[in-house]
Amino acid sequence: MTNSTAVKTGDAVISIRGVSMSYGARRVLDSVDLDVYRGEILVLLGGSGSGKTTLLKPLLGLAKPETGSITIKGVDITRCSPSELGAVRRRIGVAFQGGALFNSMSVEDNVALPLRELTRLADSTIKLVVWMNLIAVGLSDAGSLYPPELSGGMRKRVAVARAMALDPEILILDEPSAGLDPIVSAELDELILFLNRSFGITILVVTHELESAFHIADRVAMLYQGRLIAADKKEQFAGNAHPRIRQFLDRHPDAVPRVAGEEFITAFLRGSKT
Amino acid sequence: MTFLEQFGQAAIVQVEDAGALTMQFWSVLRKLPRILPIVGASRRWHSTVEQMFAIGASALPMAGAMSLCTGFILALQGASELRRFGALEFVVDLVAIAFTRELGPLITALSVSGRSASAIAAEIGTMVVTEEIDSLRVMGLDPVEFTLAPKYLAALITVPCLTILSTLSGIFAGYLFLAFSMDMSLRIYFQTVAETIVLRDVAFMLVKSLVFATIIVHVGCMEGLRVHGGPEAVGHSTTAAVVKSTFLIILADLVATAIFYLMGWSSLG
Repeated sequence: MTNSTAVKTGDAVISIRGVSMSYGARRVLDSVDLDVYRGEILVLLGGSGSGKTTLLKPLLGLAKPETGSITIKGVDITRCSPSELGAVRRRIGVAFQGGALFNSMSVEDNVALPLRELTRLADSTIKLVVWMNLIAVGLSDAGSLYPPELSGGMRKRVAVARAMALDPEILILDEPSAGLDPIVSAELDELILFLNRSFGITILVVTHELESAFHIADRVAMLYQGRLIAADKKEQFAGNAHPRIRQFLDRHPDAVPRVAGEEFITAFLRGSKT
Repeated sequence: MTFLEQFGQAAIVQVEDAGALTMQFWSVLRKLPRILPIVGASRRWHSTVEQMFAIGASALPMAGAMSLCTGFILALQGASELRRFGALEFVVDLVAIAFTRELGPLITALSVSGRSASAIAAEIGTMVVTEEIDSLRVMGLDPVEFTLAPKYLAALITVPCLTILSTLSGIFAGYLFLAFSMDMSLRIYFQTVAETIVLRDVAFMLVKSLVFATIIVHVGCMEGLRVHGGPEAVGHSTTAAVVKSTFLIILADLVATAIFYLMGWSSLG
């Protein structure tokens, strides 16, 4: 069963086909088709409530989509057995939005956790791998700190280091730059590029930060109201004429609905100020 | 919605609750061997020890003090009636039996429920909100084994211990009263206590405390896992955890005591 779905996907390591999901009566994902190719950085853009975080749930096997299939490395994770899902997850590293670090463990232990639990490596080897991963994210001297002592940017770096611990082929980052200042956010972008260029990791970034998206992306996809309205090389994407994409790229607000008596209220407020 | 629909909806919710609780209980039971020292996975029992401190050791002062006070209250109330019949020494029986069979487990459970059911719900709820539970799943680690099972084991070990200690402190309060009011010696007091209590009472106490421990940690975990949305949902879940576990403890106590009574185990000798 899993082999039959593996055909036709070509060089796509992740291929999402016709995935729909709803919360109650509200449809949050409407038959989304998306491919992530080997070795690329794909940035998934979308405004708040566009369904981009919802898409991660079935992608990580945390929720079943109502329809459609998600094939990762030739395995349809919506229909496979728990052990197959486990094997697929071993190839994926995920850094969640807030880092999702375990507060009762030091940074080192957080990064070491998947290694200790899922491999039979010796303690000394684990120490070495942890140290190398922390160097890769630029936190080699923060190993003994605890997550509450870290800044937002450091937490995300540790999350990336932990996601990298098992040497994944695919790295999924949820809002890596949300809530970070421009400098730290730019550092994180460089880190993402570095991981991609030097280790050849396929990276899927979910974000709404335009600048960082265009800096790091090979391809850009955009979700709007649960539908995928574009998935293109970033140069083509920047020239896309879809009104929503233009609005998003040019940062135009939605038209504000006029309220009856608005002039009166404005006049009243102006009057009260003086 | 018609009345029938509402009724059906409510029934479905209750059945879902019961189902979720049963499934959670079963999945934890299956994982318990994995967290034991020696036979289980390496290092996993560390977190059980941590939980034993959080759930058990730090609840000791509170449970002990509550039992001491209740023991004294019970002795005072009992004495004012028994004195009229010149049977003041029966205060010993009253306190000993009431505490072993009933108040020791109940007071301990209520104090642990107030402290730990909310703490467990808050901890797990926060882990849900910050995606730590998701992150465990994605890493291929079982959240049940990793976070739930240690709490269960810790509660199942510490709550009976706490119950014994708080029962002793309640019974000791009875001694304090009798020592003041009729100069009873400690030796005689505890001899009388030992004659009054039978092994069956102690067994009943321990069974009850195990049931209460399960309720506390079970409800705490379930409410925590149920958290949806932002941090404010955690607050709701902690409140719900305390309210539900307290209610269920009383309910379970009623059922257990009724069984004990109907089986004729409560008669002396």
